[in-house]
Amino acid sequence: MSSARQSSTWGLRTQQVLLPKSGSESSECEDFIGVDEQNCRFAVADGATEAFDARNWAQRLAENWVRSDSPLTPEAFHSWVAAEGVALHSSWRQMTLPWYAEEKARSGSFAAFVGLELDLNTEQPAWKAVALGDSCLLHCRDGALIKSLPLSNSASFNSAPLLVASEPSIYKTSEQSLVIDSGNCENNDVLFLLSDAAAAWYLERFEQNTFSDFFAHHDQTALAEFFENERRTGRIRNDDIAVMRLEIQQRSIS
Amino acid sequence: MYSAQITRANPTCIVLLIDQSASMSDPFSGDSARKKSEFVAEVVNHTLHDLVIRCTKTEEVRNYYHIAVIGYGRKVWSGFGGPLAAREIVPIADVADHPLQIKSSYRRVSDGAAGWVEIPVRYPVWIHPMADGKTPMVEALTRVKQILERWLGEHPQGFPPTVLHLTDGESSDGEPYDAGREIMSLGTNDGSVLLFNCHISSRRSAKVEYPADEHSLPDGFARTLFQISSPLPHSFQAAAAQLGVHTIEGSRGFVFNGDPSSIVQFYEIGTSLTGMTPYRWMDQEITEPE
Repeated sequence: MSSARQSSTWGLRTQQVLLPKSGSESSECEDFIGVDEQNCRFAVADGATEAFDARNWAQRLAENWVRSDSPLTPEAFHSWVAAEGVALHSSWRQMTLPWYAEEKARSGSFAAFVGLELDLNTEQPAWKAVALGDSCLLHCRDGALIKSLPLSNSASFNSAPLLVASEPSIYKTSEQSLVIDSGNCENNDVLFLLSDAAAAWYLERFEQNTFSDFFAHHDQTALAEFFENERRTGRIRNDDIAVMRLEIQQRSIS
Repeated sequence: MYSAQITRANPTCIVLLIDQSASMSDPFSGDSARKKSEFVAEVVNHTLHDLVIRCTKTEEVRNYYHIAVIGYGRKVWSGFGGPLAAREIVPIADVADHPLQIKSSYRRVSDGAAGWVEIPVRYPVWIHPMADGKTPMVEALTRVKQILERWLGEHPQGFPPTVLHLTDGESSDGEPYDAGREIMSLGTNDGSVLLFNCHISSRRSAKVEYPADEHSLPDGFARTLFQISSPLPHSFQAAAAQLGVHTIEGSRGFVFNGDPSSIVQFYEIGTSLTGMTPYRWMDQEITEPE
C-alpha cells in the first residue's frame, strides 16, 4: 500500500526542525516528528507537559501512526488510539510508582497530534489529514495560506486544548474535536506540520502579511538558529518546536 | 503583575492558615453530623493532593510550590505532622513524600460506554482535624508575615505568595487589621502577597462571596476581614468563573458566613494561580473507603 502512494510524476522535498524549549535538553523535548516516506505519512505530536509519561505517548503517536495503515476516519482513528493507549498503559504495569505518580497515571497521558497522508500517484496530488489538539497542518501555495487545521488563527491557541488521550473514557470526550480533512496540491505547494508554538508563529506571520518561506534557503543548523533567535526576541513562545515542511515537486520528464 | 511563570527556579509560596480553635468542633448549620474541623481538614488534604499532582511529572514532583500550613488555636503551630512539622516552609516534593498516612478507597468513574467502573485510589493525609483553645488570629498572621519575610528574602522574583486564611470566628488577641495589612505590603517583582480570607459560620446567615465593596457586610469584623483581603487578580477571576462563581473587577478574595461549598471553592480559586485549571475533585464520586 505504501508504495502505491509514490509516483513517477510527483516527488517530495522534506525538511524538519525539532528543538526542545530553551534551557531544556533534547531528552526533555516532548514534541516528536514521525516520517515514513514509503508510506507517504508524516506526523507531529506534542506531549502535554502536565501529563504522565507524555513524552512516550507523543513519540508513540507520531512514530507508529506514520507506519500504520489505519484509514483516516474517526472510527479507525479511535480504534488505533485505543490500541496505542492499551500498549502505553501496559508499559506502566511493571513500574513501581509512588502514590502521586500512580494517581497521575490513572488519568492516562495526553498529546496534541496532526497526521498527514499524501497520495502522489494521481494526476493531481492529494492530501488527507487528521488532527486533534493544537498541532496544526498549514497548506500554502505561492506564499499564501490556503488551509489551516485544526486551528486557523494565532489567537486560538490557549493552554487547555482537547488532546489525544490514552485513557479511552477521556478520549471519547475529546474526540468530538477531532478534525479530518483533505485537499489537492499543485506543483510547489508547501505543507507544514507544526506543534503549537510554531503554528501560532506561522499563523501570525500570515495574519500580518510577513510570511516568508525561509526554509527553502536554509540548512538544518541555520533553521535551528533562526527559531532560537525568534524565541530570544519573544516573537515565538518558549516551548518545544516541531516543524515538518513538505514541498510537492513535479519530477522533470526526461 | 501576577503573570510570572512559576518554575523550579522561581517557585511560588502558598500558605494555608487554619483556625483550629475549639469552636471548629461545632457542626455547620443544618449538618449536625459534620464538624467544621473535619470538613476543613478534608478539603486541605485534597488541596495538598491537588498541588502535588499538578507538580508531578511522570515519577518526579517538581518544586513549583513551597508550602506552609499554619494552625492556630491553643497555640500557633505547624499544621503538618510527622517529619514536616518542624519545617516552616516545605517544597512540594517533600510534601508529596511525607504524608502522615495514605488511605485507600474506590472511585466510581465512567467506563467510556454507558456504565461505571470502580477503580482503586489512594488518598494521602497530611492534616488531622484539630479544635482546641481560643482564636489568636493576630499572633498567627504575625507568624505568617515572619515566615514570608524570610522566604521573600530568598525569592524576590516570581509569582508572589498566596495566603489562604480560614476562620470561623473573631480574633481573641486583638484587631487583625495591622497584621493583615503588613502581610499585604510584602511582595515580589510580580506583585504584592495575596491574602485571601474565608470566614465560615455555624449559624444560618446569608453568605457573602467575593464582594467588591463593604456595603453588604453585616458588621465591623466582616469589614476588617474585607480590608485585609486582596483583590482577585484576573487569572483567579477566570478560575472562579470556571467554577461558576461570579466575580467582578475589584472583587476581593473574601468570603463571609461561608458554607461547605464556599470552602471548597475558596481553596480551588485560591490555588488556581496563573491560569492553572483547578483540579475538580468534588466532581468525582467517592465510594466506601476500605
